[in-house]
Amino acid sequence: MTFLSVVVRGLARRPVRTGLTLVGISIGIAAVVALVGMSRGFETSWTAGMKSRGTDIVVNSMGTTLTPKPFPAAARDRIVGLPHLAATCAVTVELMSIENSEMTIVSAREWGGFSWSNLKLIEGRMPKDAMERVVVLGKTAAEVLHKKIGDSIQIETEEPTVVGIFDGGALVENGSVVLSLPLLQEITGTQGKINIIDVRVTPGTTQAEMDELCRQISQRIPEARANIAGEHIRNSQGYRIIRAMSWGTSSLAILVGVLGVMNTMLMTVFERKQEISVLLAIGWKRSRIVQMILWESGLLGLLGGLVGVIFGIVGVELLKSTPAMRGLLEPDLSPGLVALAVVIAVIVGVLSGVYPAWRSSRLQPSMALQG
Amino acid sequence: MKQEPAGEGRDTAAEAVFEAKDLRKEYDEGRVQALRGVNFRILPGEFITIVGQSGSGKSTLLQLLGALDSATAGSLLYRGKELSRLPDLSAYRAHDIGFIFQAFHLLPTFTALENVQIPMFESKRSSAERQERALSLLKAVGLGERVNHLPSKLSGGERQRVAIARSLANNPSVLLADEPTGNLDSENARQTLDLLTQLHEERKVTLVLVTHDPNVARSASRALQIRDGHVVYDGPPSGISFGGTP
Repeated sequence: MTFLSVVVRGLARRPVRTGLTLVGISIGIAAVVALVGMSRGFETSWTAGMKSRGTDIVVNSMGTTLTPKPFPAAARDRIVGLPHLAATCAVTVELMSIENSEMTIVSAREWGGFSWSNLKLIEGRMPKDAMERVVVLGKTAAEVLHKKIGDSIQIETEEPTVVGIFDGGALVENGSVVLSLPLLQEITGTQGKINIIDVRVTPGTTQAEMDELCRQISQRIPEARANIAGEHIRNSQGYRIIRAMSWGTSSLAILVGVLGVMNTMLMTVFERKQEISVLLAIGWKRSRIVQMILWESGLLGLLGGLVGVIFGIVGVELLKSTPAMRGLLEPDLSPGLVALAVVIAVIVGVLSGVYPAWRSSRLQPSMALQG
Repeated sequence: MKQEPAGEGRDTAAEAVFEAKDLRKEYDEGRVQALRGVNFRILPGEFITIVGQSGSGKSTLLQLLGALDSATAGSLLYRGKELSRLPDLSAYRAHDIGFIFQAFHLLPTFTALENVQIPMFESKRSSAERQERALSLLKAVGLGERVNHLPSKLSGGERQRVAIARSLANNPSVLLADEPTGNLDSENARQTLDLLTQLHEERKVTLVLVTHDPNVARSASRALQIRDGHVVYDGPPSGISFGGTP
């Protein structure tokens, strides 16, 4: 018999209570996995989309919303000729309700700009010119919207025709409705406005040169801010709010788990007062009693963490497959996040056991002779 | 009978296992005086019973001997050293003494074999050595066939024998037993007492046994009678009067 078997036996003596506590902590950990995984996925999905378009620097003004704020398209002219700047492409990205989908990415790109080049046609064709009243759909968007070549699609009050279905090499791209920028500006009445400038730098540009270019662009376009692709999401206020809310909600769920474990361990200590006193009377050190309680609570945390990770992954997979979320983001359920969630669970478990362990260490061996 | 320090006149040259000098224990800020200046010596290998009515202070005395509690005043020496000043009281409880309780106090979710191994977590024995020793001790107390039974599946007498095996786990030189037959029927009580007597003789352990049972008290070589916190008798068990003043 090992010390660990003493610990396991301590938890196993009240299986229902242990099980319920485990469910409590696992819900907190599932929230961490699901919410943080989705918010991180938001970042990685958009970063992958940028990489797929071959964008090195993104110029936009991320406010508190998920899409950037519009600014004059003419702003782009102010950065022409900057060192290491190879090409630019004006873009407007909106999240719009399209037919049966409550939130679809609509990506309007400057006609002839480099941001069209990553779209590999699977079926159909590309628009013939900037004002042809047609759209092309990413393969996931076509699936979610139930559209095929020749169908019309309602965007605001217009009904352009679907002429092509493409693979954009990233989930965000594949979940998008893509059309030419002038057409969307006409549909939405936002002529002369864009909300993103995709910037491509010359080959061999160093990180320091890119940073300097970002600084110069930001200086010349004060309405927006230039960021290295990927960082623009991380630096956006909207994403920060999402991330903070994810951690905030997860923390609350974890707090409930902490209280659950603490309550269970306190009840354990109270129920086992005499048993603990007997252990002290037969020579166990107080530190061993403390260790026993901390190991029990830590083990509860570990098991809760493992179950919570499974709950979280299953939950996210279910959510991902819902029409509202399909094609919008790829949750980041990396081994790193899973490991982080389990480590959080163990820390939570151990910390929850600190007070009960302290209480157990205050028990007197003389209680062993009572009763 | 006037109290005289125990052990005096027996073998004063031998180092006492325990020596109490004016030992006092108070509870409730002095409102309850459980021990009121107790003096005695217990020599190595002695079998001594502490007898007295309920509330006389005998269990308090056992608690002090077992370092489960500390005295309010006076001195209690263990092998010449002040017990309360030993550097590690849990090590004393783990290795120097073995405790046997009236209510057995076995851990209910552990088998007999596992219960006996519990104190050995404070020794340097490996898991296999713990198991081997526990098995050997259970065989020694006649429970070789019941090692994998939970306490709930054992009779009262068997439980107390498991508890006795547990008390011997770390090979202590002193056994402290608190009413070890108090929860047993007469047959099991007799068997338990025989076992304790046998262990005392074979292993040369010092056995201090608290009881209010005259039959149990008579099996010891010496008795210490406590009344109202005082030692009122210290001598052969035959001299004790259980009905009144000795």
